[in-house]
Amino acid sequence: MKLKTWFIFLAISSIGVLLALANSPKIFEYRLLENQQSEIYKSDDAYNKMMDVLTHQRCMNCHPNDNIPKQGNDRHPHYFGMARGEDNKGFQATNCNTCHNSENNKYSGVPGAPHWSLAPASMGWEGLSRAQIAERLLDKSTNGNRSHVELIKHMTEDDLVLWAWQPGVDAEGVQRTIPPVSKEDFKKAVEIWFANGAVIPTK
Amino acid sequence: MEISLIVNGVLKTVHIEDENTPLLWVIRDILDLKGTKFGCGKSACGACTLHVDDEAVRSCSYPVKFADGKRITTIEGLGDRENPHPVQQAWVEEIVPQCGYCQPGFMMATAALLKKVPKPTDEDIDKNIINVCRCGTYYRMRKAIHKAAEIQTEKDSNESNMV
Amino acid sequence: MADNKSDSKKVSRRKFLVRGGLGTIGVVAIGTYIFRNSIRREILGTVNSLDLPYTDNTDKPMVWFEVTTENNILLHSPKVEMGQGTFTGIAQMAADELSVSMNQIQVVHAASSTGNIDSFATGGSTSISGLWKPLRELSALLREMLLKEAARKMNIGIEELTIEDGVIFGNEKSMTYAQVAEGVENWKVPDTPVLKSLNEYKYIGKPIARVDLDAKVFGDPIFGMDAQLPDMLYGAVVRSTKIGAKFISADTSAAENMIGVVKVIVEEDFVGVVANSLIEAENAKDAINVTWESYENLNTEAILKIMTVGNGKSTIIQKHGDALEEQDGVEILEFRTPIGAHAQIEPNGVVASVEGDSAIIRISTQVIGLTRKEVASRLGLDVENVNVIPTYLGGGFGRRLHTPHAVQAAVMSKAVGKPVKYFFSRKEEFQHDMFRPPTHHIIKGRLNGEGYLDGLEHQFVSGDVGNHSALMPDFLPPIIGADIGAIRGGFIQYTGIPNFRSVYWHVDLPFATSWWRSLGLLANTFAMESFMDEMALKANKNAVDFRLAQIGDDAIGVRLKNVISAAAEKSGYSEEIIDGRAMGFAASIDANTPCAQVAEVSIVDNEIIVHKVTVSLDPGLAVNPDQIRAQCEGCVIMGMSAVLYEQMYVENGELQPTIYGPYKMALMKNAPKEIDVVLLQGKDTPGAVGEPPLGPIGAAIANAVRRLTGERLTEFPLKLTKTK
Repeated sequence: MKLKTWFIFLAISSIGVLLALANSPKIFEYRLLENQQSEIYKSDDAYNKMMDVLTHQRCMNCHPNDNIPKQGNDRHPHYFGMARGEDNKGFQATNCNTCHNSENNKYSGVPGAPHWSLAPASMGWEGLSRAQIAERLLDKSTNGNRSHVELIKHMTEDDLVLWAWQPGVDAEGVQRTIPPVSKEDFKKAVEIWFANGAVIPTK
Repeated sequence: MEISLIVNGVLKTVHIEDENTPLLWVIRDILDLKGTKFGCGKSACGACTLHVDDEAVRSCSYPVKFADGKRITTIEGLGDRENPHPVQQAWVEEIVPQCGYCQPGFMMATAALLKKVPKPTDEDIDKNIINVCRCGTYYRMRKAIHKAAEIQTEKDSNESNMV
Repeated sequence: MADNKSDSKKVSRRKFLVRGGLGTIGVVAIGTYIFRNSIRREILGTVNSLDLPYTDNTDKPMVWFEVTTENNILLHSPKVEMGQGTFTGIAQMAADELSVSMNQIQVVHAASSTGNIDSFATGGSTSISGLWKPLRELSALLREMLLKEAARKMNIGIEELTIEDGVIFGNEKSMTYAQVAEGVENWKVPDTPVLKSLNEYKYIGKPIARVDLDAKVFGDPIFGMDAQLPDMLYGAVVRSTKIGAKFISADTSAAENMIGVVKVIVEEDFVGVVANSLIEAENAKDAINVTWESYENLNTEAILKIMTVGNGKSTIIQKHGDALEEQDGVEILEFRTPIGAHAQIEPNGVVASVEGDSAIIRISTQVIGLTRKEVASRLGLDVENVNVIPTYLGGGFGRRLHTPHAVQAAVMSKAVGKPVKYFFSRKEEFQHDMFRPPTHHIIKGRLNGEGYLDGLEHQFVSGDVGNHSALMPDFLPPIIGADIGAIRGGFIQYTGIPNFRSVYWHVDLPFATSWWRSLGLLANTFAMESFMDEMALKANKNAVDFRLAQIGDDAIGVRLKNVISAAAEKSGYSEEIIDGRAMGFAASIDANTPCAQVAEVSIVDNEIIVHKVTVSLDPGLAVNPDQIRAQCEGCVIMGMSAVLYEQMYVENGELQPTIYGPYKMALMKNAPKEIDVVLLQGKDTPGAVGEPPLGPIGAAIANAVRRLTGERLTEFPLKLTKTK
């Protein structure tokens, strides 16, 4: 049985490869190959790429589980005791916008993006496993009642999410690190993962 | 770039090459209002706190381009000797300043706090007033903040009685 | 000090200078008062100019007072105001002896051209105590001169005249001081009159509001950072981030063509840039590529290794009875304190204008004379032609006891022919501070049968404080043997103990350490008073009683015992833990001012919370009790900040961190909600105030933590190692 399956798989693959080599430019050839892979594998790959980003400091620092924003690659608590406050934007008079603007500040090294704020407490990810993060992401009771379509839009278009790839310089003037996956790959990964049913892999 | 600001109630127009110049330096060096202080330039100490449209903002980290068309209030516009703001009055009554350098930032942060929370608790103060003072005037400042809230409340009730 | 010394040799009499000018009627200048007692009556002359005179006269008059046309007195202060309240205290002293009201006294910083600058420094908690006698005498003298002149003008006997708020009354007539002084060119200078008695003083001893209160509440441009001169440009100086880096060369080509850049200046020892605006200067600075020769891979561990008792040279600074032999029953504790930053909020800065053979320097400085001398020497100017005009200081704390940036600004100003303003970035402030040196202490003690110490020994090592300071002549340290700053607080105050000694060790560090408010006091008291508390516990004695029993009965010992008893009483000192709070006790003597403190502490989420501190201080006569309280409150908070949160470290040859936040300091939420100050008066003249209350706070907190948790914390920043 197993052997037979393998043979059929290899045969189809080979035909595909041959066809591709004969008729297509190289880039297409790659895509064709990819298309031959199992749905689960692709989806897992996309999932992992997506999670590499979501668990990176640039994202995780504003998804705390203790209502305290984090800073830097060492994820230290935000200096001066800043915390979530009532509306995810700090305290009544001293809040995110006291220092953070809609764009990064090259002189002070204070990062900024539109609607700079903490993710809602229900979206606290700190200390969670990737699967738990994904569950929170998908659960309408924690994700702000977002459908898959809305989630894709949020994750691929929101300025604050995409800030992770333009994080500016820190107080020392040193460029902040960016997630290990490029912005385009991340967007693609999000789309593929949702397109494939947003399946959370079980180990 | 030409930028219009309403500074302490007066319309000011400034020309500036670098629109990202921190508002602090426009206020201090171009408009010559020296009450707003430079302490760190990194939004860490709060000495440069002023109000943009009534909200507390650390002006060392606020590009002047964002202030275009907005109302800026500095310590000089908060109140004056003849007509002090309740925060300034309380600061005088409690004899808060020592070296005095950080004080304008603290007073501006406090004035912004009182606008949002007319009667702040100690906890409100601890969370919102996070500027740095090296002389260690926090003890008197806390007393002055509570006193300013009282003065403000009294003033407000007098004003509403007059109406 | 050299200037005044030469004066005192040449001047055989006190000189008065009287001049008028815009808005002023008479300027009274008194030559070399502080260093001279003999008086001869003579008038120097009159100068009709507000430009402060620099006559060829070698007597160098010192301008103390001006009487303005509005009948106010301008008091030129030889000391700078950095928050310590000196201006208010001296205004009170002058007002009382001049018989004017407080609001008639305006205190200004004496420019160096007035001659009336303290040619050493403002620091060491000496301003009020040092000026107590001379300033009141000068004020009384001016009052007497005005009275005599009034008697002449009003044609009434001097004994029939009375004064109220700067107005002289007699025979139903009256004249203001201003009217009296008007037109007078030759003053008769009387002998110094008898000073008023203390109960005649209206202001001295009262909690008068600070004279600079309004300026500081309404945002007046009074600080060095606010200073400007017409046509001023902005400068910046490139600094290495590495410890000990020496400037070798610079590639300035990119910076030279940047927008707004006026000139890039390459000197032997530094490279600077002058531009039209601050931002342009900073941007250009970042574009300059400098080659440095620097230390490599220095780290905190290396510093700690150097900073260990037994290294370097030792000096016994105190010795009584026999040395403590190592034997059974000797208790030993070790303590460490880290590198501390001044972290004053106003960065060091200066505006310099060099024109021809003269210079004007506007600056926040604690060392007007030194600033002037250094600028003059670098630019080859006559010292007399460099006018240093001090501004209010946005915090001093010892940071402004050296101002090489004034020299750099002057060099840049000369190069561009315009005034140049320049100041440190915050990162430069942190990396190029003159730090509080790290210290290490080993304390040994042995209890006798009655549970008291029969031997006590404190060995401590510190980096430079006074030594190698620009303020200290190089020849001095070898003669003294010990660093006069590092040993502050290092003398054992329990002189009732039969055998004790204190040994200071000196080592050199690869970066500059220097004066930090209270100098060695903070670290030395932390170590000794922690040890004493541990011994009290060991002896099963009350910490207060244990201390009181071992203090000598000399004058200072009695005063120390009094502050200890007062603090214990006022705080209701108890060694029980009540509602999760414990009290910690500590006491110290600094500059002849004893202080005791009780800290009430609890532990919340493993963090040390200081709820209340009771301070008992004997500063002698309290000129302004409110400002003394303010200094106590400030010392408690600055001290607890240093004790609980602050430390600089060294990594890859760099001093870190470089910004508030990472350099953690006490914030509003950390400050005690109660600070109770008790003032005692154990002598009839004013004593030191600005630093002594920094002594006990470290040990007071650590001792409370010990009683609360059982853990003896021996290092700043104090942190519990185990979860409580």
